[in-house]
Amino acid sequence: MVKPIIELKNITKRYDDGFTALENINMTIEPGKFYSLLGPSGSGKTTILRIIAGFTDATEGTVIFEDQKINDLPANRRKVNTVFQNYALFPHMDVFDNVAFGLTLKKKPVKEIRERVLNALKTVQLPGYANREISELSGGQQQRVAIARAIVNEPKVLLLDEPLSALDMKLRKDMQYELRELQQRLKITFIFVTHDQEEALAMSDEIFVMNDGKVLQSGTPVDIYDEPINHFVANFIGESNIVPGKMIDDFQVEFVGKTFECADAGMRHGEKVEVVLRPEDLDITKPEQGKLVVEVDTQLFRGDHFEIVGYDEDGNEWLIHSTNPVRDGKKIGLTFEPEDIHVMRFGEKEADFDARLEQYEED
Amino acid sequence: MKKKHFSTIYLVFVFLLLYIPIFYLIFYSFNKGGDMNHFTGFTWQHYAELFADKRMIIIVLNTLLVALLSSLIATLVGTMGAIGISARRQRKVKSALLTLNNVLMVSPDVIIGASFLILFTALGISLGFGSVLISHIAFSIPIVVLLVLPKVNEMDSSLINAAMDLGATRWQTFSRVIVPFIAPGIFSGFFMAFTYSLDDFAVTFFVTGNGFATLAVEIYSRARQGISLEINALSAVMFVFALILVVGYYFIEQYSQSRRHKKKSGKATLGTEVMLP
Repeated sequence: MVKPIIELKNITKRYDDGFTALENINMTIEPGKFYSLLGPSGSGKTTILRIIAGFTDATEGTVIFEDQKINDLPANRRKVNTVFQNYALFPHMDVFDNVAFGLTLKKKPVKEIRERVLNALKTVQLPGYANREISELSGGQQQRVAIARAIVNEPKVLLLDEPLSALDMKLRKDMQYELRELQQRLKITFIFVTHDQEEALAMSDEIFVMNDGKVLQSGTPVDIYDEPINHFVANFIGESNIVPGKMIDDFQVEFVGKTFECADAGMRHGEKVEVVLRPEDLDITKPEQGKLVVEVDTQLFRGDHFEIVGYDEDGNEWLIHSTNPVRDGKKIGLTFEPEDIHVMRFGEKEADFDARLEQYEED
Repeated sequence: MKKKHFSTIYLVFVFLLLYIPIFYLIFYSFNKGGDMNHFTGFTWQHYAELFADKRMIIIVLNTLLVALLSSLIATLVGTMGAIGISARRQRKVKSALLTLNNVLMVSPDVIIGASFLILFTALGISLGFGSVLISHIAFSIPIVVLLVLPKVNEMDSSLINAAMDLGATRWQTFSRVIVPFIAPGIFSGFFMAFTYSLDDFAVTFFVTGNGFATLAVEIYSRARQGISLEINALSAVMFVFALILVVGYYFIEQYSQSRRHKKKSGKATLGTEVMLP
């Protein structure tokens, strides 16, 4: 096992007015990986970043950096650097001085500073911008300067607080590739805060899904997408059809009045559960061949696929992604494989969830 | 068209109204006759008298010294105060502090002067340079606070976090990030405090005591004794001095802007040179 670079142990953050921003957070961050903290606004993800950076204290719990407890270490002595949401570039300095700020404080020789700053600017693809004023730069360029200002200090961990949220769609996509590429080249740990699930799925080695100051689930993007732990995660990450169901037996689940074969087990017989089916896993066939029959209500053309909304006899709404269009009002059959069904228990904790998955997947 | 005409006339009228008394004063400073009723001939005599008047020169220097010292100290204290007020978390405390500050701004000078007089007498502080300096610092601080505070509020707290994040100590954050950012506010606060101190009559009048006077107080007492055209000469000199200050400020502004521009273009060539392999 790789030695973790940062560990958060039982971190709780409570404000004076009694509001609990974080509740018993445990995290292990390994060196050289790209982590995302994903959650809606107010879920506490930025607070975690601020605690790691040292801008705010944890009410309870321990922050460990390379085996040292750093709760009381001030921000200016931590080996992490931050890229802020609004970039926080110093407006009274030009690009060069902004990037050089950290090195100047460390009293590095002028020649070395110059070399490293110009290198950092090259890394973020802004060579020749050293003498521009900050006000002359576009949002995307400011973003790059902010990244250069952080990485020039060669931090062990780079914290990014929704750095792409102010950029337009196209630029954001480009920056996602660049950030991922940058991380792999520099081999430093990135902790990336975002509320954009697509962004998190695309870039991360590991995602922490958060809500209401708690980590609901952590894992690789594929794990979280394919096996969300609960309704919130299933809904927040990607689109899903979630219907109530009942576990008949191991590998057998009942929903919309029928029993289906599935790939989940380890639950009580007859336990009430929720069933997730991803829209892209539903295939359209003739009504008589379908495991489910729905009537098409609306469809939208999304460029690379059609987004179809239909209702079954019980009135459940089904979202289907299909490459071929269907006719409105027509009855269609839907088929899916047993592996496409994902069963979620109510109120299952992440540890129990992981243990259960491990247990029956071994069989 | 008609409207444009009217606004021109209006502007000319207002500026005439503002400047005529001053020019009238300056005009008679060259009068050979000893009064301001009839202009009998041109003379430098009153200027010669003024520059020979040692007491007057000392008073001018004292006035400048008080203005400089009081505005410097007030700028220091006021800037700290603005940062302090802005750092208060609770809204109520913040607005209470700001209100206390503003009350001092609007309260009549006479009251401030009188209360200082009472304070100094009660504490047994002798009136003179010290008492004038203290009271000038006191009434300048709220001005500085009021001018610096908007700049402090404008500054995003993430700038401070960013500085700390990059390894700056508290002092380095203050000197390299906060002060440069709020510098325009500090400068205008300083200049405003300086002019307020030069101008002040009412507060100073209460706390000067014997043997020490500022220009405003001296001119007042001389004017009461009867018309002396030396005062006119002094006013003319001060007017020219003020004019030079304003023009000088304008050129400094121009210069720093062009230098900034030059620095940029100069560095830019440096940048391209670096880019070559």
